[in-house]
Amino acid sequence: MATEGQQHPIKIYILIWLLLFVVSFFSYMVDYLEFEGMLRWTLIIIFMFLKAGYIVAVFMHMQWERFALIFGILLPPLALVVLILLMAVEADYANATRVQYMGADPTAVPKSPHH
Amino acid sequence: MATVEVPYQETVPLHHPKTWLGKYVFSQDHKVIAIQYGVTAMAVGLVALFLSELMRIQLAFPGAMPWFTADMYYQSITMHGMIMVIYLLTAFLLGAFGNFCIPLMCGARDMAFPFVNMLSYWVYLISVILLLLSYVVPGGPTGAGWTLYPPQTITAGTPGDDWGIAMMLISLAVFIAAFTMGGLNYITTILQARTRGMTLMRMPLTVWGIFIATFLGLIAFPALFVSAVMMLLDKFLGTSFFMPAIVSLGKSLDYSGGQPLLFQHLFWFFGHPEVYIVALPAFGVISDLISVHARKNIFGYRMMVWAIVAIGILSLVVWAHHMYVAGMHPYFGFFFATTTLIIAVPTALKVYNWLLTLWRANIRLTVPMLWALAFVLTFIVGGITGLFLGNVIIDIPLSDTYFVVAHFHMVMGVSPIFAIFGGIYHWYPKLSGRMLNDKIGLLHFYITFIGTYLIYFPMHYLGFIGTPRRYYETGVTEVTGFYPQSAHDLNVFITCVALFVGVSQLLFVYNLIVSLKKGKKAGDNPWGANSLEWRTPDTPPGHGNWGERLPTVHRWAYDFGVSHGDQDHIPQDVPKQKSN
Amino acid sequence: MSETLDKENILTGTARDWSSDMTTFKGVPWGKAMMWIFLLSDTFIFTCFLTGYMVVRSTTTEPWPVPSEVFALSVGGVAVPLLLIAIMTFVLITSSGTMAMAVNAGYRRNKKLVFWLMAATALLGATFVGMQVFEWSKLILEEGIRPWGYTDDSHLLGNAPQFGAIFFMVTGFHGLHVSIGVAYLLIVATKVLRGKYDHTNLEIVEITGLYWHFVDLVWVFIFAFFYLW
Repeated sequence: MATEGQQHPIKIYILIWLLLFVVSFFSYMVDYLEFEGMLRWTLIIIFMFLKAGYIVAVFMHMQWERFALIFGILLPPLALVVLILLMAVEADYANATRVQYMGADPTAVPKSPHH
Repeated sequence: MATVEVPYQETVPLHHPKTWLGKYVFSQDHKVIAIQYGVTAMAVGLVALFLSELMRIQLAFPGAMPWFTADMYYQSITMHGMIMVIYLLTAFLLGAFGNFCIPLMCGARDMAFPFVNMLSYWVYLISVILLLLSYVVPGGPTGAGWTLYPPQTITAGTPGDDWGIAMMLISLAVFIAAFTMGGLNYITTILQARTRGMTLMRMPLTVWGIFIATFLGLIAFPALFVSAVMMLLDKFLGTSFFMPAIVSLGKSLDYSGGQPLLFQHLFWFFGHPEVYIVALPAFGVISDLISVHARKNIFGYRMMVWAIVAIGILSLVVWAHHMYVAGMHPYFGFFFATTTLIIAVPTALKVYNWLLTLWRANIRLTVPMLWALAFVLTFIVGGITGLFLGNVIIDIPLSDTYFVVAHFHMVMGVSPIFAIFGGIYHWYPKLSGRMLNDKIGLLHFYITFIGTYLIYFPMHYLGFIGTPRRYYETGVTEVTGFYPQSAHDLNVFITCVALFVGVSQLLFVYNLIVSLKKGKKAGDNPWGANSLEWRTPDTPPGHGNWGERLPTVHRWAYDFGVSHGDQDHIPQDVPKQKSN
Repeated sequence: MSETLDKENILTGTARDWSSDMTTFKGVPWGKAMMWIFLLSDTFIFTCFLTGYMVVRSTTTEPWPVPSEVFALSVGGVAVPLLLIAIMTFVLITSSGTMAMAVNAGYRRNKKLVFWLMAATALLGATFVGMQVFEWSKLILEEGIRPWGYTDDSHLLGNAPQFGAIFFMVTGFHGLHVSIGVAYLLIVATKVLRGKYDHTNLEIVEITGLYWHFVDLVWVFIFAFFYLW
């Protein structure tokens, strides 16, 4: 097929490569420094999407594709957002009914292997 | 690419099989694969039809077949539902019509990946064989109902809770693999392998319906795949994804903490799009049949396309209207009832457009046209009862009654079957070069059409008086004495009609076989249609479909009722005159 | 392609491509279009798995094990949280980098380089799978985690039994993808070297790369949700 393909300077690949290591290191530090609660979750999500974005945009060449392809691939997963949101609500509801009607203990502490 | 005005397929050589086996068995030609899909789907559909007759006999004449136990009844229900929805309707509408129509209507030589396409059929065949093999494994096929809800599906007491469910789930996973292989082909072919001048907005609506349905399949079947994997693990590895702590037959099982509703959500996240995977190709086929046989351009082509797209999108956010009584989050009812009623808008739009196409048209009551008209009527009837069931308040008393059975058989059972029949009568001349016999066709049509209403209309009333579905016995025995005699009489009536209609389907099979040799020669374009499949140099189309050059498309497929020489239609590959 | 066809306005460009004849994705070979659509479908599979994970984890009323303790690796008697996972992530990201280089080399038609870079990618992938086997065996043998719960002498006994179930299922499914990817890479690399794709633009390397980067992409989500959450 007479196409030029995705040809780009190697520099940008190496840059993204390094960025992936750096961001991975950051998300590892979130755990290592034992951030808790909202801060932890927000940071995890931010770093996760940052890495995913780098991979899709550069390594998978999405940022150089035409919008026809970008929309064709990136819009359908919006259906999954609906699924995830509704399932989050549903799971909380199920958990609440279990606590309320079946005497489950919502404050149980995880059993740990090392103490 | 865009500047080079040559379709890619004109530049690459076509794969040419040398042997008989390569031409007719392991063929990579989309037309042969379409026939293989169609024949297999029809054969397995006849099995499902037979199962439904067994169930009808049991309901009307309890005790007439002493060997037909309650377990067998549930197994029949499950297999009937699963075969009809997945292995017949999905496989036929996408596997057979999709394979036959897409390359011909888009002006392609073949599918984009013929080898993968061939593989798709053989993997599909394996899934069918696996499904049927569940009749010979210990315990027989699963009797969990086609929705396979846990925990009952995999706990003792349900027929086939061991081997049967394993065969079913594995068969489904294999089917999904087959569908994915086919589906990737359909999408790639439609998007990337059209001929010169064939824009998306010039494609016949059949292709549009198949396109969106395939896309839905590719993003909905994963949910079924995931739930099948998780259920297999629950059953055979003892995980507790769907299984709460449970006492079965007085024994406490090792499960704890699972969420049965998760399965239902995943299943219906697949299951509702599945309804439209079946319906959208039917919509497309019917739109084309109506336009061709009414000799009038389809009313509101663009709106029809956008309606198909809108239905496809909306179908992904309505799934839990199957779960109003399941015990999910109480606020979900509002959300899903709203989205469900919104989806009625594009659907109604399509119905109006079909009616407006017929308005003052030059209607020819050919056999395909009769099926198309029957489809529209049946779809309206089934769709309207869908409005009842989409509302939480009305659904609650009606759920799990025969009203539901009547509704879904009308709207997604019989209607797509009508579209399939109509499509076969319409395209058989292109496929075989001969017409199907009209007399047998008419007989088959009237029996099936009238029979449908005699069977399913009374079921609405049975539902209103509260007849539960999936009951082995509702007859007036001492145990089930709550059931009024009049309702039972209705049941007997339904069964008698069902038996007659079921047997008369053999007329159709007979017609298909006999017309292959004895049918009237069809010629290239017996219906005077415009779309590209009627413009092939040979009938039936040869390998590669077109000659040296792919056709060039200059117009949409719906130029009917115009004067063009001595014809009343202008095919898609006729150039536009300068004056217009 | 994007160099020759300029990227147009986000709306009119999209509309023009979708309403044109012959191809919708301009300049995209069939195989690449197919791979993208397949990956979209695969995205739905993995997201359904992860949604299932979210549901069972938030539904269960039994406590969930603490990941940083379960997945810790002790080095010289000191438990370092997530050490193995950090190395696995490192390996997978490295393999993504070599893959990206291979794609680049492919479009410069340097077949030898393509072969070696893809082979390196496959080797790193195999290393990843090997480490996953090590991780699994440690969880199964030392921690007593089973798909159906925990062994009777496990320290984790009393936690939610879904932990092992969902963990083994999702990482197993991902590992399966990696293993298939390794085989796919080796096959394509060999065929490229033998000149089976000489008549093409070697876009097969990019297609293989898409799959491989997708596997890496999934790992990003698994890393966040299973090991950090």
